[in-house]
Amino acid sequence: MSDFIDLTSAAAESATYGADERDRMGFFTDTTLCIGCKACEVACKEWNQLPSDGYEFTGESYDNTKELSGNTWRHVAFVEQMEPERDTGRWLMESDVCKHCTHAGCLDVCPTGAIIRTEFGTVVIQDDICNGCGYCVVACPFGVIGEKQEDHTMGKCTLCYDRLKVGEQPACAKACPTESIQYGVVDELRERAENRLQKIQEKFASAQLYLNDPNDGVGGGGSLFLLLDKPQVYGLPPNPIVPTKDLPQRWRTAGIAAAALFGAVVLCAVSRR
Amino acid sequence: MSAGYYGRPIVKPPAWTDLIPTYFFAGGLAGTAATLAFAERTARNDRLARTMIFGAATGCAVSAFCLIADLKKPERFINMLRVVKPTSPMSVGVYIFSAFSGSVFIAAGCEVTGIARPAGRFFGAIAGLIGPVMSVYTAVLVGDTVMPAWHLPRKTLPGLFAATSAASAGAWGLLFASARDNGSARRLALVGGTAMVAILQALHHEIGPTQAEAYSKGEAGALARTARVLNVGGIVCAALGKNSNVISKVAGALLLAGGLTERFAVYRAGCASAKDPKYVLDSQA
Repeated sequence: MSDFIDLTSAAAESATYGADERDRMGFFTDTTLCIGCKACEVACKEWNQLPSDGYEFTGESYDNTKELSGNTWRHVAFVEQMEPERDTGRWLMESDVCKHCTHAGCLDVCPTGAIIRTEFGTVVIQDDICNGCGYCVVACPFGVIGEKQEDHTMGKCTLCYDRLKVGEQPACAKACPTESIQYGVVDELRERAENRLQKIQEKFASAQLYLNDPNDGVGGGGSLFLLLDKPQVYGLPPNPIVPTKDLPQRWRTAGIAAAALFGAVVLCAVSRR
Repeated sequence: MSAGYYGRPIVKPPAWTDLIPTYFFAGGLAGTAATLAFAERTARNDRLARTMIFGAATGCAVSAFCLIADLKKPERFINMLRVVKPTSPMSVGVYIFSAFSGSVFIAAGCEVTGIARPAGRFFGAIAGLIGPVMSVYTAVLVGDTVMPAWHLPRKTLPGLFAATSAASAGAWGLLFASARDNGSARRLALVGGTAMVAILQALHHEIGPTQAEAYSKGEAGALARTARVLNVGGIVCAALGKNSNVISKVAGALLLAGGLTERFAVYRAGCASAKDPKYVLDSQA
């Protein structure tokens, strides 16, 4: 079964580019540095020319963006952990983004080949191929992908594929004023994240890395995070697993069910009374 | 404060419309109907075989409409055929459905026109052999998502889809064949209907009480309770109406309605298990 999964890893898919393959690029989002300015959200919208999802006052701290969607590819979460009197407590901020998974469920299930692994090891939806079937939406363990209302295809972060092609960094990382969003080679980012965690843990025992482990349920992310609390506090799944992981067993079970169904029909047809 | 981040979903519910559970119903019915048509043709019960191949063709026509109409870019349906992806049950399913519905339409066309009957019989046999796969593959399709209510019943969901398909196909025969010819359809409706009710219990057991709430509460729960009333009523009528055309037709109508309602119940359960983050959190605890 692990062999099946290995067929669809970032490394295997990027290797198909041959000489054009590049280092795997990604994000390290260090939430301890985030000040909640939302410059990343704005830079992303501007560069990728993404329309608004509408204006709504949620009453959920300073978060009126609510969630990642087809047209919102960066989302800053605001978590208020206050005492009832609100005189003490802390405020957690985290800029969320597509995880560009090593084992990407969206890419696995896309029936048109619209979703591809790029030469940078990132996951991109080609909007001229996407026919809006919506399978990727329900295959993402992080709820990243959504429908773009204006043209009814599915949308998500491309890690600014067009900027990477010309040697630039993604718009959000460029705009981030505190280097909470860091862009780079994934292997180097993983190392940087480990070092940063050791430092931060001296002050915040609950600090933890998210998606830095290549052995987790999605094979680790191309986007890594340093969090100050449990993932679910930020609206992230604590133990995400690519849905395709046990697909061969599912087909096997379905095969048994189909064979039983065939047998039942035949028995019903021959057992005349 | 509610669970997770302001109680917001962790995974996104489907962007699909109600055409998709309608497809699960119509495609499931078509698959098993084609198999029964094939079996009846082989057993020389031509009248029921004819009823069933028309049922399969009707199911295929409804399925094709649902599948294409649900695409947000229907004119790009053809993009489904530019790749073959074993990692995508939808890609595999497109080819299963294409081969199956093509065979069914040829078989039904030969039946209606009386032209090229041997070819019709050949494609009817092909459709009959693919039929069970057609009826069950959609369980793999929804299982291969992160909706907990669909992902977690690994063992029972394919069985539930098979049983629902059997009940619906049998119900078609009860509704449209005469009591003289519908013996096999009646037995299939009884077996399928009973199995559906029983496997649903097993499904609740497989995923445990917390996850089963997605199936038993809210809209999904209301649909499931309605489906059970319709199905039990249909089973009773099918068992009693052996010599009555009227009671047979009532049984068929009840089981068809029960099968469709059950499909919607399963679909809504999947959506509910995405909308409330407690299901994802429980499954990943």
